[in-house]
Amino acid sequence: MIFNKTHLTAICGIIIIFCVGLVFFFSFAEPYGDGLERTMEEGGVEEREPAYSAPLDYGDNYFTALLMGIIGFVLVLFILLFLTKIMRKKDETRND
Amino acid sequence: MHIPDGLMEPIIWGIGWIIALVFVALASRILNKRIHEKQIPLMAVLAAGIFVAQMINFPIGGGTSGHLIGAALAAMLLGPYAGLIVITTILIIQCLIFGDGGITALGLNIVNMGIIGCFVGWGVHKIFPEKYRTFGIFLGSWTAVFIGAFICALELAISFSLSNGAFGIPAHIAVPTMLGYHAIIGIGEGIITMGIISYLSHTSPDILKMPKITIRTSKEVAVE
Repeated sequence: MIFNKTHLTAICGIIIIFCVGLVFFFSFAEPYGDGLERTMEEGGVEEREPAYSAPLDYGDNYFTALLMGIIGFVLVLFILLFLTKIMRKKDETRND
Repeated sequence: MHIPDGLMEPIIWGIGWIIALVFVALASRILNKRIHEKQIPLMAVLAAGIFVAQMINFPIGGGTSGHLIGAALAAMLLGPYAGLIVITTILIIQCLIFGDGGITALGLNIVNMGIIGCFVGWGVHKIFPEKYRTFGIFLGSWTAVFIGAFICALELAISFSLSNGAFGIPAHIAVPTMLGYHAIIGIGEGIITMGIISYLSHTSPDILKMPKITIRTSKEVAVE
């Protein structure tokens, strides 16, 4: 088993903190751009058409952002587990 | 600080891609040899946690917000090479799946947030002796954000000069504005990183004692 009880508790904890954190985000920070976006505004630069259109976006309401956050969380978790497992496997094969 | 498509001069984002590929290949090679079974779930959980933390922006005043980058945190917990792989994975998923950061600028985003974030954050916090480690964690995280923003401002300024204004932002706007906002965002990064590491040192001290994949261990590999 890759995840023990501590890891599963950590995963639940992160998702709960995310659910609460998103409430604060939509209450206090949602309309504001980040440091780079503000620099672009002050430099009079507008965002151009992206070279690649992604299939999803974070959404502009609480529930979409929550859903996207959970999808992203699971994707990152499993892609990284997969990548690191491949690395370990290669290493074990080399040591054999 | 995710750079979108169309903001940087192609030569600049091309150089960003080359630097990013070299560092990520080096980090993967070192990780391949040094990764420990126990680090795998921690790396995955930490990466997923940083991904959701990056979605939550906090207001910093003046109609601006900031969010955790998490590169210094990942580097301090796992070592800079594993940290770089964590941040690179997050940036790739953000770009390809959620359209956060441009695909042409992905290399530059890996340089500014991943490479600089991990190596500067790790390096600065290691300068401090154990007694001042908490301050070192704060300063390492703050410096990682500040230097990353400075390099991003330089990329914007050079893009502007090379393209005669078609791309980028003039230096007299890009440098002070990026540094001003990120000096404050860095304080948030420092407080969050310090809080997480101090929480872990009380609840799971074994995580902090886990072997880190560092520059020294890579030399050891070379000696072997």
